[in-house]
Amino acid sequence: MMKLASSSILGFAALVFFCLLPAVVPSWVAADFGVYFVYAIFAVSLAFLWGHAGLLSLGHAVYFGIGAYAMSVVTLGMTPGLPDVQSTWIGLLAAVVLSGCTAALVGTFFFGGRRPLKGAFLGIVTLAMAVVIERLAINSPFLGGMNGLMSVPPFVLGLNGDGLEIIDTTVIYYLMLAFLLAVIVLMLHVETSRFGKSLAAVCENELRASTLGHDAARLKIRAFTLSGALAGLAGALFVVQFGFASPSLIGFALSADVLIWVALGGRNHIISAALGAIAVRFLENRLSGAIGAAWPLFLGAFFILSVILFPKGVFGEAIAWIDTFREGRRVRSRPKPPAT
Amino acid sequence: MEQIATVILDSTNAILVLMLVSLGLAIIFGLMNVINMAHGEFLMLGCYAVMELTKIGLPFFLALALSPLIVAAIGLIAEELVIRRTYHRLIDTILATWGLALVLRQAMVLIYGPGSYAVPPPNVGSIMLFGGPYPVYRLIVMGVSLGTIIGTFAFFFGTRWGLAARAVIANRDMAACLGINTRRLDRLTFAFGSGLAGLAGAAMAPMISIDPNAGLGWVVPAFLSILVGGLGTVSGPLVGAAGVGGLDSLTAAFSSPVWAQLVVFSAAILVIRVFPNGLVSRRRREA
Repeated sequence: MMKLASSSILGFAALVFFCLLPAVVPSWVAADFGVYFVYAIFAVSLAFLWGHAGLLSLGHAVYFGIGAYAMSVVTLGMTPGLPDVQSTWIGLLAAVVLSGCTAALVGTFFFGGRRPLKGAFLGIVTLAMAVVIERLAINSPFLGGMNGLMSVPPFVLGLNGDGLEIIDTTVIYYLMLAFLLAVIVLMLHVETSRFGKSLAAVCENELRASTLGHDAARLKIRAFTLSGALAGLAGALFVVQFGFASPSLIGFALSADVLIWVALGGRNHIISAALGAIAVRFLENRLSGAIGAAWPLFLGAFFILSVILFPKGVFGEAIAWIDTFREGRRVRSRPKPPAT
Repeated sequence: MEQIATVILDSTNAILVLMLVSLGLAIIFGLMNVINMAHGEFLMLGCYAVMELTKIGLPFFLALALSPLIVAAIGLIAEELVIRRTYHRLIDTILATWGLALVLRQAMVLIYGPGSYAVPPPNVGSIMLFGGPYPVYRLIVMGVSLGTIIGTFAFFFGTRWGLAARAVIANRDMAACLGINTRRLDRLTFAFGSGLAGLAGAAMAPMISIDPNAGLGWVVPAFLSILVGGLGTVSGPLVGAAGVGGLDSLTAAFSSPVWAQLVVFSAAILVIRVFPNGLVSRRRREA
C-alpha cells in the first residue's frame, strides 16, 4: 500500500470537513468561506515560493492585486480596444497570464545575472516594489484611482458575460472549494515533479545544486512566475465574489496579512498554509466582533508567540506531531527479529 | 534663490532625520543580525512620548531629551521578551518584529484611539536665512540629528564599548571568544537603536500629525537606505540615507510629492540590484 504523507491526512480530514460544512451552517457563513478559500489559494502561492523555493516575498499582494484588476477590467468591458469582451473565463485567463508575466519579469530582474538577490534583501526589495505598484494603482485614473473599480460582475458561466450568473452562496462555496482543491493538487504535483525537486535542491544549497548542473536562476524565475500566476488567480476569484477592486488589494496591508497567514499556518506545507489562511480569516471575522479593536493586538501577540514557540506554524506542528505519532506506532508494531 | 535655499534646507532636514532612523536600524542589523520591521513603530512611540510628556507640563526640550530614553526602555523590554528568542533565525526576526509592530500600533490605537494628535511646536520663532524666513525649530532638529550622528560615531570609534561593538559586527563568534559579553551588548544595542528611532520621532513630533500609523512610512525608506549604502560599515547607511532622503525631497519639491516616493523607491531598487553589497562596501566573505 502506498504510504500517505501526514500532510495529506490532514488535508483529507479538512476536505471532508469543508464538504460537509454547508449542511450545518447558515448560508451567510458559507458565503464567507467562499472568500476564505480564495485567500487560501493566495496563501498556497506564497507558501510554495517561500517554503518550497526559499524565496521570501514581502510584497506578494502585487500579483493578487494585478489578478483582481485584470478580472475587473475585463468583466466590466473596459479592456482597451475590446469593449465587447466581458467573459469571466477570459477575465480568469487575463488575470493568470498578466500576473504570471509580471512575476516573470520581476523574477528575471531579481534572479537573473551573476549576483541574484536573496534572503532578507529580496524580502525588503519586494516590499518596496509593492509600495511602488500600490502608488501606481492609486494614481491611475484608468483603474479608478483611490476608489478602485466598483460593481464588478459575479462569476458568469456563459462564454461572453451572458448566461447563468452564480450568486447562490452554496454554489459559490463549492466552486471556490473546487478551485482550492485543484490548486492544492496541482501544487503538490509540482512539488514532487522533477522541477519541484530541483527547486528544493536549489533552496537547500544553491551552490551545490548549480554545481550539479541545475540552472538556479531559471528555476527560481519559473517558481516566481508560477507563484505570481496563482496569486493572480486568487485575486480574480476574490473580486468576482467581493465585487470591488481597490488599491488596498495590491499593497502593504494585504502583503502583511498573507505573510502572517502562511507563517501561522506553516510555510513548509501547502496544506498547512491554506488552513492557516482559512483559520485566521475565520477567527478574525468571529473575534473582531467580540473583542473589537483588540483583535489585531491579539493576532500580533499570538503571531510573535508562534514564531518563537512553534516556528513550523500551528498546522505545520500538527503535521509534525502526526508524523511522530505514526512513526512511534510503526516502531511498536514492527515484528521482533527472529531469535537466533 | 530664496526658494532654492528653502528647498536645500528642507532637504537637509529630511536627510538628517532619515540618517538618524537608518543609523539605528543599521546598528541593530549589523550588530545583532536582526531585521527590525518594528523600527518605524519605535519612531511612532517617540512621537507619543513627547506628546504625553508635554501634556503633563514638562517644557518641550526636556520632553525631547527624555522621550528617547523612554523608547529605549521599551526597546529593552521588547528585546528581552521577543527579539532574543529569535537570534540566529534571520527570517524569523522579520516575522517576530512584524508581529511586534502590529502589537505596538494596535496598543496605541487602544490607548489613544485611531485619531491623530498634534504637539504644539516650541515657541522659538524663525530667523532670516539666505534672504527668507526659516523656522528655528527645523534648524534645532538638524542640529540635534547631526549632533547625535557625530556622537554615535565618536562612541563607535573612540570608546572601548565602540571597539567591542565593531568587533562584534566584524566577527561575532571571534568577539565572543575574546571575552566580549555579546549578550549584554545585544541588549544595549537594541535599546540604543530604538532610542535613536525614538529621538527621530520625538524631534519630528511637532512637524507631523501623530497617529498610530505614523511610523509606517519610515521602515521602507530606512531599509532601502541601509541596503543602498551597504551593510557592514557605519558610514554606509549615512550615504544611503543621503541618497534616498535627498532624492525624495528634491523630487517632491521640483515635481510632486506623489511621484517622489515612486521615483526614490524605483531608483533604490535599481541601485540595490546593481550593487548588491551597497555603494560603500567592505569586502566580506560570503556567509
